[in-house]
Formats: sequence, C-alpha cells, structure tokens
Amino acid sequence: MFAPYLILLVLFGILPIIQATITSIGPSIVNPAGGLQNFADVVADVRFLPALMNVVVFLLMYVPAMIIVVSLMSLLLDTVQGRWNLPLRLTYIVPASMTGATAVLIWYFMLEPSLSPYRDALHALGITQGNQIWRQGGLAWIFVAMAFFVGAGNWIVVQYGSLQSISEDVLEAARIDGANAWQIGWRIKLPLIRKYLVYMGILVFAAGLQVFVEPQLISGSVYTGIAKDWSLNQLSYDLAFQSNNLAGSAALSLMLLVVCIVAAIVVIFRTDFFEGTGVGKK
Amino acid sequence: MTTESIALPGRGEGIVRTRGFGAVSGRVVVWIVLAVFGILSIVPMIWLILAPSKTGQQLNDNPPFSFGSFEQYGVTWNNLLSQNDGIILKWMANSVTYTASIVVISCVTAVLAGYALAATTLPFKRVLLIITLIAMIIPPVALVVPLFVEISAIGLYDNPASVILTSSFYPFGVFLAYIYFSTSIPTEIYEAAKVDGAGEFTTFFRIALPLSKGLFGMLAFFSFSAAWVNYFLPYVLLQSQENFNLSVGLGFLFTSSPALNPQNGAQQSLIGRPEIALASLLLAIPILIVFIASSRLLVRGVLAGAVKS
Repeated sequence: MFAPYLILLVLFGILPIIQATITSIGPSIVNPAGGLQNFADVVADVRFLPALMNVVVFLLMYVPAMIIVVSLMSLLLDTVQGRWNLPLRLTYIVPASMTGATAVLIWYFMLEPSLSPYRDALHALGITQGNQIWRQGGLAWIFVAMAFFVGAGNWIVVQYGSLQSISEDVLEAARIDGANAWQIGWRIKLPLIRKYLVYMGILVFAAGLQVFVEPQLISGSVYTGIAKDWSLNQLSYDLAFQSNNLAGSAALSLMLLVVCIVAAIVVIFRTDFFEGTGVGKK
Repeated sequence: MTTESIALPGRGEGIVRTRGFGAVSGRVVVWIVLAVFGILSIVPMIWLILAPSKTGQQLNDNPPFSFGSFEQYGVTWNNLLSQNDGIILKWMANSVTYTASIVVISCVTAVLAGYALAATTLPFKRVLLIITLIAMIIPPVALVVPLFVEISAIGLYDNPASVILTSSFYPFGVFLAYIYFSTSIPTEIYEAAKVDGAGEFTTFFRIALPLSKGLFGMLAFFSFSAAWVNYFLPYVLLQSQENFNLSVGLGFLFTSSPALNPQNGAQQSLIGRPEIALASLLLAIPILIVFIASSRLLVRGVLAGAVKS
C-alpha cells in the first residue's frame, strides 16, 4: 500500500537530489575539471552576493511581517464571534486566489500612480511616477508586499482555526480571574498557539528563500531587466538556462535545499510541533 | 458552521458584562482593523473583475472601479482567442487535465501511504515518516532545478507527464492521512477487523476508506490549490506553448505581448491589459470558488486538528 507513494518519493524526492549532486560536481562550462570548485565558483559569481543580500533583506521583512500580522489578525478575528466572522474570513481568503502572474499584474496596477485605486494615497506620499516605486534598491518592499498579500489571509484563517482548538474552560477560568480581552489574547491564547506560529514561520521562511516568480515576471515584462538575477533562485535559473552552466545551477540549488532541510529538521526535532506523532521530541 | 456557533456562545460574554467606555472604543478599533483588512483583501479582486469590461483606453482614463460594458467582456475574450489561434483554450484544457490527474494520483497515493504508516506493520516506519515530514516542509520550488536535471536525463522534458508525475508527490497529504488514520479512527477497529481474519487490503477498503470522506476532501483541496496555480515547475519542465498550463501561459502573455512591455509594441497583437486581466481572472476564479466552498474545512483542522493527538 505504501509502494505507489514510495515510488514517487524515490523518483521525485530522493533521486533528483542524488542526480543534482552528481551534476553539481561534474564538469561545467567555467570549470571543466568539475568537483567542489563548482560551489566556490557560484559563490564567487558577481551576481551571487547581491542576490543573497536581496533574499536576506526580503526574508527579514517578510517573515516577521507575516508572524506579527497573522498573530494579531487571527486574535482579533477570534474576538468577534457571530455572523460577521464567516464573511470576514471569506474576504481574507480572496487574495490567495491571485498568485504568481496574477499577483504581479495586480500589483503593477495597484502601484502605478496613474492607474491605481490608491492613486490619491500614492500622490499624498509624493509618488506620481511609476519609476519612483519600481527602482532597483526598493524592490524588496514590493516583493514582500506581493508575497504577503497572497499568503497572509490564508494563514490568518488557518491560525484562527488553531485558536478554536483552545478549550473554553481555560478562557473561562481566565475571565473569572479578572483577565481582560487583551490579557487573554496576549498571555493565554498566543502562548497556546505558539507552536503553530513557529511552524508557519519556518514554512514561510523556507518558501521565501526560494522567491522566484515575482521578480522573474516583473523583470520580463513591465520593467525589463529591473530584477534580473534579483533572487538566488533566479540566478540558479539563469545559470542553467542562460549561462549553460547546469553544474553551477545544481550547486546553487543544493545549497538552498540544504538550508531548507536544516529548517525542516529543526521543526521536527527541536520544536514540539510534531509531538505525539511518533517522530518529534518527546 | 452550525456546530461552531453552538460550541462557542460563551466567548465574549465576560466582556459584555464589564463593558465600559474603554471596552466599547476597543471594540470599535477591532472592528475597524478587521474591516479595513477585509476591504484591502477584496479591492484587487474587484478591480480584476471590472478590468476586462473596459477597453485598454478606458482602463487608463476611467476611474479604477468604473464598469465598462458587458459587451466588452466578449470583445476582450475574442481578442484573447486571437492569440495563436485560441491557444488560451488549450492552456485552460491543459490546466484542467493536469490538475485533475495530479489531484487523483496524489490523493490516492497519499491515502494509501498514510494508512500504511498508521495501521499496518511497515518496516522502517519512523524513518519513512521523518523523510516524509522533511519533504513536506521543503517548498516544492526548491527541487525544481534537481527535477529538471533528472527529467531531462530520462527524456521526459517538455512532456506533460513530467509535470503530472512530479507534482503528484504529495508528502503533506501522506502526513495528513497518517494523522487522520492514527487519531480519528480508533486503532481497535483495525485490530478487530484483523482478528476477524481480514487482510490489510480488506481492512482498508471495507473499514478505513468508508470512514475517510472528510479526509479526501481536505487532501483534494490542498492538492488542487497547489496544482492549479503551479508556475515554476511547469515553466521549467515544459517548452512548447501547446503544453503550457494557464498559469505559465499567462506568464508568457505577460512577457511576450506589448500589454505590459512597450518594447514588444512593434508586434501586431490584440493582447492588451484588459486581455491579460481576463486571463488572470480565468486563473483566479476556479481557485476562489474552491476556497470559498471549502472555507469550512479551513477553519477546523488544518493545523490544530491535524496535529493535536
């Protein structure tokens, strides 16, 4: 019964990693001798450090923004039970349907001062030209906004679900002890869903590390080349498909993959998220 | 929703009793924050629905939330069809075929594997579970280049099967199924069936499967939402336009038409911004419908229900 899944796991989970490892130490166009020098070559590539910095800045804004806003919004949502709760949740899910190319299109229009529904707000901020927003150096903000917009609503609804698992007795006891709504949220509900928030933080981090679609599409459409090789994954893609350096591309992918695997192992063995599932920390 | 509102009437009662001026203004602030977030969430969708009703010129000149005309939706659609002899239809059909195949293969393999992990004697169970968890946390994008290397090596490049098979690997589904079969159904049931002489497969098909309709719903939901919008993997694994799914096709329209890139302006193309917006809308609507229809699934269980044991 396990066999069909095991075949997929081996073929598309494990073999690609082995294959990529072999490729990554094979001869490349810049290094015919192959070996670990391929990894060093990628790191020494002039595009590597800027891309790494971009992704680090992106993550430093994106991960905390997600954790803070999702915690706050799910706690607020939890305080308003009743008939407006469901409609609110439904509106929060809507942006998750606009991913990838759709998100890029939407944000192009939302941020273009001459076309945007928010044009008054943009003008008030002194932004009257698209190129005041779309400029190198300020792009991380835009990609954070895009990724945040697509992901936050769904996570708010998911974490609202986590809050529903808190026993009513615990909350009632706190109220009897005189805790107000703010104290209940901050001191009781938040610690109780902490592990779900940590889990979300790590998934968001792992996904953010791989940012690709938004910069790639912006760079290929509206503002040609503005975000070329902006992220590490774009660099990996360019190495494979533009520079004809598949070994370098595989090497870079493996480095990113190792970071994700480490993050995964941390969640599994160093947090209590998988407690009771037969694998995690006892 | 009904069970929920019955289960939770107690919430907020304490606040009602002690409501003073501070509490009331606190409630107002909470409502404003929640409502503003809701409005910000739907503004782009409303814009996207209205955009194809306008001509490119109207889109530029008229207020963002103005409505053009219903006829213009038809004109926009026909313009979209003009691209490469209606290739948009092929992309939509591809999206449907790929997604349906992925949902079926991924859910069936995940349910079987989850059951095997939870209720059968399987060697190396813990190791398999840990590998599955690691694979579940790693974003699929991380494997794109390694998968490309492998797929090219076995000669499946630019073959739709490459996208379908690689996307059907569904460790998150296996984990959900494993948790479901080990917590929601008492293990005594499986043991009783085995004592009565039923084999693993009989127990699965007669006992476990009939009890797992809710599980299938949840697995299909997550599998569908990932497969429908899948971009990076098909973008890398497919080359021919006629093999693209809608998501990659939309990206192609983006980068190849003058709509958003004036440098492509020399080409004679009917694809403008309203046409791109309509293609985006066609991509967004199915997923929106599935999300709204499944919002009940999302409330309970995704994390809390799945992991609480």
